[in-house]
Amino acid sequence: MSILEYNGAAIVAMMGKNCVAIAADKRLGVQLMTVSTNFQKIFPATEKCYIGLAGLATDVQTLTERFRLKINMYKLREEREIEPRTLSHLVSTTLYEKRFSPYFVEPVIAGLDKNNQPFICGMDLIGCRDVPRDFVVSGTASESLLGMCESLWEPDLEPEDLFETISQTVLNAVDRDCLSGWGAVVHVITPERVITRNLKARMD
Amino acid sequence: MEFLIGITGKDFVLTASDTSAARSITVMKSNEDKSCDLNKHNIMLYAGEAGDTVNFAEYIQRNVRLYGIRNGIELTPKAAATFTRKELATSLRSRHPYQVFLLIAGYDITTSSPHLYWIDYLGSSAEVPFAAHGYGAYYCLSILDRYHHPNLTLDEAKGLIKKCIDELNNRFIVNLSDFKIKVTDQDGIREITI
Amino acid sequence: MARRYDSRTTIFSPEGRLYQVEYAMEAISHAGTALGILASDGIVIAAEKKVTSKLLEQTTTSEKIYLLNDNVICGVAGITADANYLINYSRQIAQNYLYTYGEDIPVEQLVQRLCDLKQGYTQYGGLRPFGVSFIYAGHDSHYGFQLYHSDPSGNYGGWKATCIGANNASAQSLLKQDYKDEITLKEARELAAKVLSKTMDSTTLSSEKLEFATLSLNDEGKVSYHLYKPDEIDALLKDFDLGGAQDTPTTS
Repeated sequence: MSILEYNGAAIVAMMGKNCVAIAADKRLGVQLMTVSTNFQKIFPATEKCYIGLAGLATDVQTLTERFRLKINMYKLREEREIEPRTLSHLVSTTLYEKRFSPYFVEPVIAGLDKNNQPFICGMDLIGCRDVPRDFVVSGTASESLLGMCESLWEPDLEPEDLFETISQTVLNAVDRDCLSGWGAVVHVITPERVITRNLKARMD
Repeated sequence: MEFLIGITGKDFVLTASDTSAARSITVMKSNEDKSCDLNKHNIMLYAGEAGDTVNFAEYIQRNVRLYGIRNGIELTPKAAATFTRKELATSLRSRHPYQVFLLIAGYDITTSSPHLYWIDYLGSSAEVPFAAHGYGAYYCLSILDRYHHPNLTLDEAKGLIKKCIDELNNRFIVNLSDFKIKVTDQDGIREITI
Repeated sequence: MARRYDSRTTIFSPEGRLYQVEYAMEAISHAGTALGILASDGIVIAAEKKVTSKLLEQTTTSEKIYLLNDNVICGVAGITADANYLINYSRQIAQNYLYTYGEDIPVEQLVQRLCDLKQGYTQYGGLRPFGVSFIYAGHDSHYGFQLYHSDPSGNYGGWKATCIGANNASAQSLLKQDYKDEITLKEARELAAKVLSKTMDSTTLSSEKLEFATLSLNDEGKVSYHLYKPDEIDALLKDFDLGGAQDTPTTS
């Protein structure tokens, strides 16, 4: 078993028409034992940009706190919010700093930039960026997430349709993964506002 | 073979730990207290590698106390748990990581609410309504899933802990003879019997 | 003779004084005024901008009032360069506290940490003290809204209303006269504007010479920081009949 699979996670981000969505499950486990069904894996970086971290829970928490510090200092210094693309490079370099004893996380970033252009980005545990134009997945359920994305996603989805698509994707993907699930959270980021909804899921 | 358990109720946290200090297959002591008071309203239960546990617990306890002396205000349960988690996460990537499993239970006097944190030796932490460490967790979590609710009274919580201990005595191969049971609430920490 | 005790900060004069520290405080009393008023439902900080030249580009959104952390703001009087350094320092302190404890730093601790640094510069050799005083406005769950003041010596204290910079003595006595316990944020804003209008050199107040900020709790009970925009300041001043006229008579 890889250390990336110790706690379990399922995270997915999708591109829509002038909007993006990011979703994650809520389980924290120690291998097959579930400890918490309300574990936060997605964090707001700015009002229009979210980071999801899948992998070893201790590193998920440590990095969340480090990124919060870096993003806050950036905001105070620059007197503006960090752009999603800039943030993805910040995350990437932070991970690569630990190239030879890495943080065991695979981040996903989703957001709208200052012109409200959608941006999504995935990464491996040493910060190799992947900036696709459709969707990106991460975590122990990544294979089944990928399958659901391939069959459900289509270009130029409106916010509500994107919400439906990403919700179905994550709920059905985690049903085929023992290590993730137990509820999910979805954020749909639009130029006007962020729609956050908690999904009920199978609790087994 | 150690066992720690914590349950949050309406306005308190009930915690219990087994009292046996064993080495290999021998029980060396049967009245060991595996908890320490971090400050008036926060208690930490610990289990794991023999030398590491007490050393780490005392290190955390003294840092939390120092904070209280220096600043005239006490750390909240959340602050104490975050600090402890960070220490473990840092230790994980050191030459000799601490192997300690923790439950931090506390009553936040600024918001008048009880809190319970589950922390493992890797430094993963989660705020939970109930939690357990050790083999006992496999037997007790399902019982707690069934009977726990947020408005638990102290009597109900005592009954619940008793249910868990009875189950261990029934099913678990190891004999955990005695348990230290403590309540943390508005008035501080106190030991009780059930 | 006095020169012998002037050149280094670490040496007491025979009268038991630290000249460099006193000079630093003197420098501040020539700087633009900044004042803070603690109200029951929030805090107001107001500051006087010394307009150096019309040609000068505004680089930052504010030059006298800064956000230190989500729960603390400060007003500055003194050498801007020194202030910038200390503001960056205190932001790092606040963020490191958040990193370690997962909660916002209690206001007094942030003030204390900054004063520890300031104190160091009055004792260790070869360096001059920081030429800045601060007014801090903050909120935490332990003591609610709090107003502090700190000076170059590293002293700090909590206040209901206080003032630093030019004319601080007269401003202080005005505040003392008109401050009452249970003052609301709305009344505090008016008092702040009134005191500044009396202590500033210029006859009419306008957004060009003023900075204004408030700290209060929003509907969710979270701390909210409001730095007034120029037109908001002018509107405020008009409300209080203290100027704020954009159409200043042309002299040329």
